[in-house]
Amino acid sequence: MNRGLYRFALLVACATFFLIIAGALVTSHDAGLATNDWPLSNGQVFPKMVGNLFWEHGHRMVATTVGLLTIGLVVFLFAKEKRRWVRRLGLLALLGVIAQGLLGGLTVKLSLPLAVSAAHATLAQLFFCTTVSLAVFTSRSWMVSRPLLEERAGLPLRYICTAAAATIFLQLIIGATLRHSATWDKPLPTDLLLTHIGGAVAVTLLLGSATLLVLRRYRDEPLLTRPAMVALALLIVQLSLGLAAYVVRAASPNDPQPLNPMVGVTVAHVACGALVFATTIVLTLRVFKVLRPCEQALKFSAATQQG
Amino acid sequence: MSMKQTKVWLILMIALSLLGLASACSKAPEGTSDNNAPTTTGKAYTAKGNEGTITGTIAYNGAAPAPKKIDTSADPVCGQKSPNLATEDNVVTNGKLEYAFVYIKDGATADGTKVGDYTFTAPSDTVTLDQSGCHYKPHVMGAMVNQKLNITNSDPTQHNIHFTPKNNPDWNQSQPNGAPALTHSFARSEVLVPVKCNQHPWMKAYVGVLKHPFFAVSAEDGTFTIKGVPPGTYTVAAWHEGGANGTEKTMSVTVPASGSAKADFAFGEGATAAGAPGLEMMPAIEVPVIGHH
Repeated sequence: MNRGLYRFALLVACATFFLIIAGALVTSHDAGLATNDWPLSNGQVFPKMVGNLFWEHGHRMVATTVGLLTIGLVVFLFAKEKRRWVRRLGLLALLGVIAQGLLGGLTVKLSLPLAVSAAHATLAQLFFCTTVSLAVFTSRSWMVSRPLLEERAGLPLRYICTAAAATIFLQLIIGATLRHSATWDKPLPTDLLLTHIGGAVAVTLLLGSATLLVLRRYRDEPLLTRPAMVALALLIVQLSLGLAAYVVRAASPNDPQPLNPMVGVTVAHVACGALVFATTIVLTLRVFKVLRPCEQALKFSAATQQG
Repeated sequence: MSMKQTKVWLILMIALSLLGLASACSKAPEGTSDNNAPTTTGKAYTAKGNEGTITGTIAYNGAAPAPKKIDTSADPVCGQKSPNLATEDNVVTNGKLEYAFVYIKDGATADGTKVGDYTFTAPSDTVTLDQSGCHYKPHVMGAMVNQKLNITNSDPTQHNIHFTPKNNPDWNQSQPNGAPALTHSFARSEVLVPVKCNQHPWMKAYVGVLKHPFFAVSAEDGTFTIKGVPPGTYTVAAWHEGGANGTEKTMSVTVPASGSAKADFAFGEGATAAGAPGLEMMPAIEVPVIGHH
């Protein structure tokens, strides 16, 4: 285990989280087209950062920093990391950040088509999830060998956690599409809004079940209970933020400009969504690491593979 | 993480990127297949000397919503030039509404020819949309299809002019301070094309684009005059911004030869102007295209 590598991976993950906030600020301020230029802004590397160009160009600067950090992480991985699959995951992260930059440029050049903007926002979450995974895989808690715990009887936790992570990812795609389907001065499309609310119910049921099961079955295993408690707390915060975001966003078409309450709440909702996803990924990875599937799960898995 | 999982991630990312690309590249402006298509054919209208006018007043019933103050602190230059900037969606003076867009929506001249069956040549003189004090002047304006629209920046700061039409292609251009005027025109009629500045999100304007010259914007006292209208009976529409797509009201008006017709509209609470309110921005009248189905 290389402590420096872990810290650097953690730094990249934190920088990516900040980048997601910067991107959400661009969308909430309707600043995505503050310049029709890309990769330069109005033909300049450092334009005058006034008006919404502050948010758009600021986002580009943070993104560039994250790109450079990711290159640094890959170099670090290839220098210090012995596990080939971790190095490959680092390369995947690098590919992800390059694709993300290209999608960002494409969405500006094409005047923010919904599909490209939503793909840009979704890939941001996937990239964040990759950097968080790299931090998990290079951490001491992951490297230390420990006896495996037997999965308790009942529905295997690994399946519930995987289902929760997948549902959250789908919910993030719906949320990204919803956010980019109407600017602050237009009402949100009702069908997408209802789908997003339905997604919130599904996420609550799945993630709520996963975290409560962890807390009940493995209360003496902090490696599992910590992310479970954090995920549960974040889920509650996220639901509250979702409700608040709905209220401020419903009112914003009557505002003369994007106001701070609307911007603050909607950005917090995006950021908290990313944290819920990241925490669920951490929980899922650790469940796979710490728990040995019970006989019932092994039989189920074998039957699935045979089928 | 196993190789299998890594491959799944890679495929997912590539698929997402390709999906976005494909969707973006196949994007075409809405309305490309309808009868908003640009045309240069049709029966050219020739002035006969007996044209009349349509005049009227746009009233606003009840108390109009107060203009909302705009916070320009994001760009200090805006506040210096326009310290009291406010919204212009309901500019009402003594019960009269400014910035209503009035136009002939449909109808026929006295000889029974539909106004949409004529073609009108766009004037060679340009109309100007200026960015001054971080707001658009004028707030609402009209232009003919293919008429040149001159866009100027009188501010000591950068703007970007962004037309977000439904029937025409999206158009977004940065315009730094001191940059020469930009020119743009619309190939298809559209009532009305929203204009915004993504640098200063409070900046909004509307351009009504028509294939004929029979339109006007109400003045500060709510009055308007549409000149050079061939004698005939027409559906006259008045559009006022507000809500998702604005509000449109219509009425039937007969213009006598060399005479004048009146078309008064009212918006606001309990407005009862003749004609039915339209809740959506309606496409303007179209000149049929020969061979176009």
